[in-house]
Amino acid sequence: MSLPQFRLLRPRSTEEAVSFLAKHAGNIRVLAGGTDLIPSMRQKLFEPEYVLDLRGIAELRGIRPKSDGAAEIGASTTLSAIEKSAYLRRHYPVLTEAAATVASPVLRNMGTIGGNICLDTRCLWYNQSLTWRKGCGFCIKKDGDLCHVAPGGTKCWAAFSGDTPPALLCLNAAIEIAGPNGTRRIPLQEFYTGDGVNYRRLLPNELVTSVFLPAESAGYRGVYRKLRVRGSIDYPLAGVAVVMKRSSGQVTDARIAMTAVNPAPLLVRRAGEMLIGKTVDEALAEAVGDLAARTAKPLTTSALTPEYRREMIRVFTKRAVLAAASN
Amino acid sequence: MKKELVELKINGRTHELAIEPSALLLDVLRQDLGLTGSKRGCDESSCGACTVLVDGVAMMSCTLLAATCQEQEITTVEGVTEHGSLAAIQKAYGDWGGAQCGFCTPGFMMTVKSLLAENPDPSEAEVRSALSSNLCRCTGYSQMYEAIRAAIAAERQGAPSPQ
Amino acid sequence: MSDFSIIGKPTAMIDAAEKTTGGGKYTDDLSVPGMLIGKILHSPYPHARIKSIDASRAEKLDGVVAVVIGSDAPNPYGILPVGHDEHALALDKVRYVGDNVACVVALSEAVAEKALELINVEYEVLPAYFDPEESMKAQTDLIHDNKPGNLEKDYHHAFGNPDEGFAEADHVAEARFIANEVTHAAMEPHSTLASFELNPHTGKLGRLTVWSSTQVPYYLQHKLSLVLDMPMAQIRVIKPLVGGGFGGKSEVIPLEIIAAVAARKAQAPVKITYTREEVFWAHRGRPRTIIDLKTGIKNDGSITCVKARVVQDGGGYCSYGVVTILYSGALLGALYDIPNIQYDGYRVLTNKPACGAMRGHGTVNVRFAFESQLDELAATIGMDPAEIRQRNLLKPPCITVNGLRVQSYGLPECIEKTVERSGWKQRKGKLPKGRGLGIACSHYVSGAANSIIRSDMPHSTVNIKIDRDGGVVVYTGASEIGQGSDTMTAQVAAEVLGCSLARVRVIAADTDLTPIDIGSYSSRVTFMAGNATLRAAEDVKKRIAAAAAKKMNCATEDLAFRDDLVFKKGSALPVVKKDQIEEAEVTQAGASVSGRVEGQILRGSLQQKRKEEGPKEWMTFEEAVVAAIDFHGALTGTGSYAPPQEARGGKHKGAGVGPSPAYSYSAQVAEVSVDEDTGEVTVHKVWAAHDCGRALNPVSVEGQIIGSVWMGMGQALTEEMVWKDGMLMNPGMLEYRSPSAVESPEVEPIIVESIDPEGPFGAKECSEGSLAATIPAISNAIYDAVGVRLHECPFTPERVLAAVRAKRKDKALNLTEGVDPTAPARFREHGGALCFNGKGPQRHALDPARREAPATARGTD
Ligand SMILES: Cc1cc2nc3c(=O)[nH]c(=O)nc-3n(C[C@H](O)[C@H](O)[C@H](O)COP(=O)(O)OP(=O)(O)OC[C@H]3O[C@@H](n4cnc5c(N)ncnc54)[C@H](O)[C@@H]3O)c2cc1C
Ligand code: SF4
Repeated sequence: MSLPQFRLLRPRSTEEAVSFLAKHAGNIRVLAGGTDLIPSMRQKLFEPEYVLDLRGIAELRGIRPKSDGAAEIGASTTLSAIEKSAYLRRHYPVLTEAAATVASPVLRNMGTIGGNICLDTRCLWYNQSLTWRKGCGFCIKKDGDLCHVAPGGTKCWAAFSGDTPPALLCLNAAIEIAGPNGTRRIPLQEFYTGDGVNYRRLLPNELVTSVFLPAESAGYRGVYRKLRVRGSIDYPLAGVAVVMKRSSGQVTDARIAMTAVNPAPLLVRRAGEMLIGKTVDEALAEAVGDLAARTAKPLTTSALTPEYRREMIRVFTKRAVLAAASN
Repeated sequence: MKKELVELKINGRTHELAIEPSALLLDVLRQDLGLTGSKRGCDESSCGACTVLVDGVAMMSCTLLAATCQEQEITTVEGVTEHGSLAAIQKAYGDWGGAQCGFCTPGFMMTVKSLLAENPDPSEAEVRSALSSNLCRCTGYSQMYEAIRAAIAAERQGAPSPQ
Repeated sequence: MSDFSIIGKPTAMIDAAEKTTGGGKYTDDLSVPGMLIGKILHSPYPHARIKSIDASRAEKLDGVVAVVIGSDAPNPYGILPVGHDEHALALDKVRYVGDNVACVVALSEAVAEKALELINVEYEVLPAYFDPEESMKAQTDLIHDNKPGNLEKDYHHAFGNPDEGFAEADHVAEARFIANEVTHAAMEPHSTLASFELNPHTGKLGRLTVWSSTQVPYYLQHKLSLVLDMPMAQIRVIKPLVGGGFGGKSEVIPLEIIAAVAARKAQAPVKITYTREEVFWAHRGRPRTIIDLKTGIKNDGSITCVKARVVQDGGGYCSYGVVTILYSGALLGALYDIPNIQYDGYRVLTNKPACGAMRGHGTVNVRFAFESQLDELAATIGMDPAEIRQRNLLKPPCITVNGLRVQSYGLPECIEKTVERSGWKQRKGKLPKGRGLGIACSHYVSGAANSIIRSDMPHSTVNIKIDRDGGVVVYTGASEIGQGSDTMTAQVAAEVLGCSLARVRVIAADTDLTPIDIGSYSSRVTFMAGNATLRAAEDVKKRIAAAAAKKMNCATEDLAFRDDLVFKKGSALPVVKKDQIEEAEVTQAGASVSGRVEGQILRGSLQQKRKEEGPKEWMTFEEAVVAAIDFHGALTGTGSYAPPQEARGGKHKGAGVGPSPAYSYSAQVAEVSVDEDTGEVTVHKVWAAHDCGRALNPVSVEGQIIGSVWMGMGQALTEEMVWKDGMLMNPGMLEYRSPSAVESPEVEPIIVESIDPEGPFGAKECSEGSLAATIPAISNAIYDAVGVRLHECPFTPERVLAAVRAKRKDKALNLTEGVDPTAPARFREHGGALCFNGKGPQRHALDPARREAPATARGTD
């Protein structure tokens, strides 16, 4: 399968990149590691006239610890670099753990954190070749007006399937976005829409430039649990991240987020409330698991049945909470 | 689309080529340069048979645009052989049954090479994890572990052969 | 010192360096001047009549050379003589999503892909059949007009007296088992390059050369000749390196025919390489299978009767289907001593890609059912599962009740060894909760005793030529596909001739150069091509011996060949021997040639001196070869192999499939743990004992055992082709989950050597027989771990969890969409719907979404 034809733009600075984006907005795709975009272009899911390659922009790479304990990660930083960063491992272990589960080691050498955040939503009825999609009938997400997963609905349920965003949500991460009018910073939580088609709030002329981990989130214990059939390569079929802080056995703060079961990675609302001030035991962990499972809305967008994946959100949340609270 | 002139540095040699901007590194290697050692086993960046080293880092050449690899050092399986003789890992894969049909083998050579460059004495779990970037359909991976252990030993002393 | 100097020693494959350096060429690595690229247009419908094809817009696209359609090559073909139901490209009908409609030949892949979009095909959509049991009820809109009830073939066999058998039984178990569909997923996608020569006399297209990723060059040559209406002698098929087959390249695959037809129409060389998705459509894998199985045993554990009704979902074409359904029956009852067997097999057509032969052809799914049920019966009578297997062994030499001749039978030793190595007796039943051991056995043929094209020709012929410098060249049609057949050939030749392996070169699988061998499938190569090589080597050795005996003044029987020497038996070997061998190797490597005499490479003064001496106790291999050439002229030998009449089976209808000159045996113990909250199964280790007759190359044998067990584990746990109304939901390596290194267990291969009386040096099969035991060994281990019997494979976490929860009587959760994995009644389709409310592209009339009221959105609450 060959790629559709396009013109390649290779800016050297963020500024130059943004100007290219402004010039060709609507007809251009950003290429970071390419591990999501290139296979999708093979399947003719994207046929842009221009491709903007970020590999030549040095300023977008790197993990920059701040003096106050916060950290800034350039959008083009590879997942391998994050996984291997001693600094991040010490201060934000949930992120390194989640990053280490993405795809396979070689894909992590290529894939970037920016690409992971911006990852297209996935669906078995969508991530297929053009010939396949023709046979099946085009759907809302691409070229069609119906959904195979939830027939009768008008919404796309393709699942957001990145591994690091639930960890980043737990860390209250923010992202910086550069556009024609300068940069803006938004909490990552506000980046996702919950719709499978327009899954992120990013204008066509904008670029994600970096991720901020606030100092207040440093030092949380963190656990990431991922459901996959194979021990490598596979995208998550469900994923749960938990961060927790305790003092003399009692939870002082906690957050839980999930991925791969909704069109957006989601924080589990009220999970913190349930945990704070308590000592974690089986029953409490179980209750939090039940809460998380109610947030999950898996559909037939991927392998394994939706009921099973929802059940795994419950089990994994319970286990992750227990693991985060163990010594 | 109009072809553009690019310069690619592959296995220590610089090649000037006219390629389309959409050309993938794997296709340029195989079709334009006749370096057919790197293989295409899937279309989804999943199988690892096309793995090459880019500035020493293992990457999938089927997922890289050739034009974005300029100014970088690319090593393919053809560049692994040392002065015309088999590198220890190549010899060991042969001796210990690490290669059967051989189609995935070039990819594994690159993955293992980058593993050993980074970590000359990997634990069993580290080897497993590193190999998990590449799929093999013949060996069940077991004999590859023996081959890798043998290659590490061979690098340290003279090469032992099985039994 | 062993009796052998070459075989039995771990030997690197002779082509290993080609593979590890990337220097070896597979078909897609080849190109020839003027070569064009072909791309195939596939059907988007599972069942439709083609009303018209308009390729005019595609033909006009710049860079397009030709567009090929069905009428360009209308002759039917198929791998089985009874199943000629395929065409190069669809003539009037398409029968599965992915069926071949047209082929564009263009200057580049990108142009060809673009042109595909410009071809207009008008279809009349027909009702389609996806479930084999539904398909069998079809009255109209048959998939093939000459197959009523969409039944490709059914067989009904009764051996012994099944009714009496069940009457004698103290316990009877009866259940439905379901095995879902799996495919080979060899790492190399199929590829074919076809090129015509110009006839110098007529200026028209002349001979055809085809390079193809095939396990069976001879069959390809044969089918090309049918479709192209050309004599076989005008067609040359060359098999370059093949990146794995497992059966997926053991028949003629559409692209192989299409490439040749396209090259003829384009009047230029054409290469077609499948995308991974096309590989899944070409498929020919293991059909999903329903097995209704009933087994009776006595209180002492002896089996009195087995009855099986097997329904295979064969897909849209016959392929090897008739053979598959027969293997399922023939090998069901031949592993153990079973006096009464009833078998009803149905090979059913459906609108899905054709199923065919896959590693363990026909035996795997029924073996899963049988070995699982045997475990249940052992539990019923409170007998150890290893023991119940030992109670039912055959007593060879014997002929099984269905007519299969068994001579060597290493199964008892296989069971003994796995039991011992795995610590079965000490550990079974004593592992911590959630961890368990399971045992199962299997077997397979060492090649079919009857070839699919009925004739009396040998199944394999091998030629050998030896030149004056002692270089041995073996010409064999056997196809190296990664299993090591070239290495086996070289080893056998070197062993017989007593020369070093480095002297032997193997020229394989080129129909112009190599005599006919019917290919690499049903594990026949070592047994059959190995025997042919052995005989060819014996033939040429006879000639060398005659000349050498003359020189040495002795009888040929007094001579021994070994270590590159020909010597009188019992004579003290020369002290110089070692140096000379080293020298010989140096000469072989071409590094130092110490003298050329009359155009031949001889070893200078030493050689000359020895030539002048009188009778001696020994000669070097080269000296003996020179003597033989001086004596006979050309030094060549030939050998062939045909299975003996006694091994060709019984007389009943379908008796041709199942018989083999020898069978391999396997016994395995799997150790697994099951996470009772997630249903995830981890295989920790598999002990796999395999009776391969004699291990000619232990590294290879172990590699084959491990590979088979590993592939069986894939089918047991992660691999499954997921369907939705004829759409394959996972046509790629990402969603079709072939295990990665992380979850692949340690496999301890245990070689058992029963030394078959007819195998080459006693060797038998080692590449397929182990696969089938792995699946039931794992399911039995899951039972041991958590007490649930899974009757549907693969044992995905949702299925395991559903069974575990049901057993615990937990709150009911519909984890498997209504199909109970412990008592499955039907195949499960992927959820969702293809079409809704008449919107979107027209789908076939049987689409459930069109027949029923629109399903309401689920999970949108
Ligand atoms: C076989 C396979 C398995 C995988 N498994 C996993 C997995 O388990 N978990 C997982 O999370 N991911 C998985 N992935 C997806 C992917 O590898 C990772 O998500 C990776 O982090 C994506 O990063 P990238 O740089 O390669 O993204 P790209 O492919 O370069 O980009 C992805 C998307 O984000 C956009 N984009 C990228 N960077 C920016 C930016 N700075 N600003 C704005 N938009 C941007 C692109 O336009 C594109 O739409 C898998 C991929 C493959 C091929
Ligand atoms: S959820 Fe529905 S609309 Fe979205 S990609 Fe899947 S099938 Fe298409």
